[in-house]
Amino acid sequence: MEHHADHESIPELINPIGMDGIEFIEFTTSRPQALGEVLERMGFRPVARHRSREVELYRQGSMNIVINSQPADLPRTVSPVEHPIISAMAFRVRDAEAAFQRAKDLGCWDVPPRAQALELNIPGIHGVGESLIYFVDRYDEFSIFDIDFRTIPGVERHPPAINNLSFFGVVQYVGVERAEDWVEFYRQIFGFTRIPDNVRYGIMPRGVLLQSPCRSFFLQLIEPEGAAQFAAMEENLQRIGLGTPDVFGTAAELEKRGIEFLSTERVRTTERGALTTALLGGVMFELVHTSPDTQATKS
Amino acid sequence: MNFNDFGIDSASLAGSLETRLAAAKRAGFTQIMISAADIVGHPQDTETAVQAIRNSGLRVTGLEALRDFEGLGGRMHEYKVDVAKSMLTLCDRIQSRLLMTEASSSTHADTDPEKIAKDLRKLAFLALPKGIRIAYKGLSWSRTAKDFIAAADIVGLADCPNLGLAIDVFDIIAAGVPVEDLDAIFTPRVFLVQLSDFMLQEVRSPEEEIMTAARFRVFPGEGAHSDILSKFVVKLEDNGYFGDYSFDVYNSDYLQMPPEEIALRARRAADWLGETVLRRTLPVPNMERLRLAGRH
Repeated sequence: MEHHADHESIPELINPIGMDGIEFIEFTTSRPQALGEVLERMGFRPVARHRSREVELYRQGSMNIVINSQPADLPRTVSPVEHPIISAMAFRVRDAEAAFQRAKDLGCWDVPPRAQALELNIPGIHGVGESLIYFVDRYDEFSIFDIDFRTIPGVERHPPAINNLSFFGVVQYVGVERAEDWVEFYRQIFGFTRIPDNVRYGIMPRGVLLQSPCRSFFLQLIEPEGAAQFAAMEENLQRIGLGTPDVFGTAAELEKRGIEFLSTERVRTTERGALTTALLGGVMFELVHTSPDTQATKS
Repeated sequence: MNFNDFGIDSASLAGSLETRLAAAKRAGFTQIMISAADIVGHPQDTETAVQAIRNSGLRVTGLEALRDFEGLGGRMHEYKVDVAKSMLTLCDRIQSRLLMTEASSSTHADTDPEKIAKDLRKLAFLALPKGIRIAYKGLSWSRTAKDFIAAADIVGLADCPNLGLAIDVFDIIAAGVPVEDLDAIFTPRVFLVQLSDFMLQEVRSPEEEIMTAARFRVFPGEGAHSDILSKFVVKLEDNGYFGDYSFDVYNSDYLQMPPEEIALRARRAADWLGETVLRRTLPVPNMERLRLAGRH
């Protein structure tokens, strides 16, 4: 009964739900303007507002970030508080309903449809902590944002990215000895595969790195170390990683816009990556050097 | 003497939930196994019971027990998934990191190992986001897994990191399982060991076993099979078991005796095991972490 199976070689799991990148990442906060201001400094532009909810869309290149300040209307979801929390990831998939049904059959907790964040019936499941994972299959010519959102008049709907910035991944904090559980979760439900421990991107190499089956997105699972091991288990989506082919150039551009990067003995900007200081009580962005082989610069 | 590895089972004690928690604590225990009925049967309400447990300062060894979950089809399966979700939510509320699941004795259960494994894997996935582990326990009267070896085979087939085994040493003694059988299982997959003995020299029929299991168990050191029990515990330790031991002493006489007295009997059992059988060392800083690390 040892855990020796080479999961990655099982053909049916190569891309079981036809994952094709990230449609959006959602923050929840009671101070959407403060977070919006931080996102603008990071190069995002507000492009649309939800028709009926307190939800705003920010965009930069291929990246969509949604700020939700609507009060939570179902249990185990993030309630808006002052410090922004990453409350959802929306994965692009071949058939959202099929992916959702499959996840439920495998033992995921579904989000009741009446309380979906957006108007369209976007199927979702519970992820780590109070966060949700949505399945989106309308993202080509006609996206969910074309239906649920009203474009802000006079803005560029597709603002270009600073130095080709794109979503690289998300860092997830997990409890002591919990990384293997989450590896199994992301492997089985979405087809993520584990990257060997000697392959690392950026300047924050700890933990387990998982790559999406579409090879465009990474999840980094980090267990607590030191005294944090004895604290109560706290698991959450901690920060977003942004890929760029030129870390120094991008960091310099962002610094001009008022973003500060950590510069300590252990963590400082190098050609491999950079980490912003914490803003608004904990929001951080990581820059990660990407080259075509990591395929993180997908448009 | 380190008691932290041993826990009492609330079902061994009479009285209200609060009385039992207090008795366990006074006897020196730091953990307690909780039955779902303790919480939902609280005379006030579920929330009061949850708060009583959380305020007791005792760690919850696990919540027991989800029964007859695996092997069902169609609407019965859906119904059991709802029951499991409810128990997992309860488990989370009392900050228990383990849900004990007993192998099904339902006559409707499919006994195909692939189907059983698939259902248990689903249960483990339901538990996963909440950080709860599923400890699957074979039962001699089950249709899906009659003993820990059969349960281990299914757990191996399901292959999920938060799915493991609960081993009840009572069952091992009653069935006369040789101690070497423990070598057949992968010890890190053992999430919980339950310890109890009984007075009868041998169990002669399945009916007698069920009756003895439900009503005539005694604490380790009090029964007729101390020698076998201690050999099993030593073997488990030799094989690298670092988890909790829970005294699952279900005894109808003990439920007519003061819980403080029974908790002290449990303490004597922990003393006997710790000093005579295990000779575990005194706790040192980072002990918990070392024990956790030992699970891999």
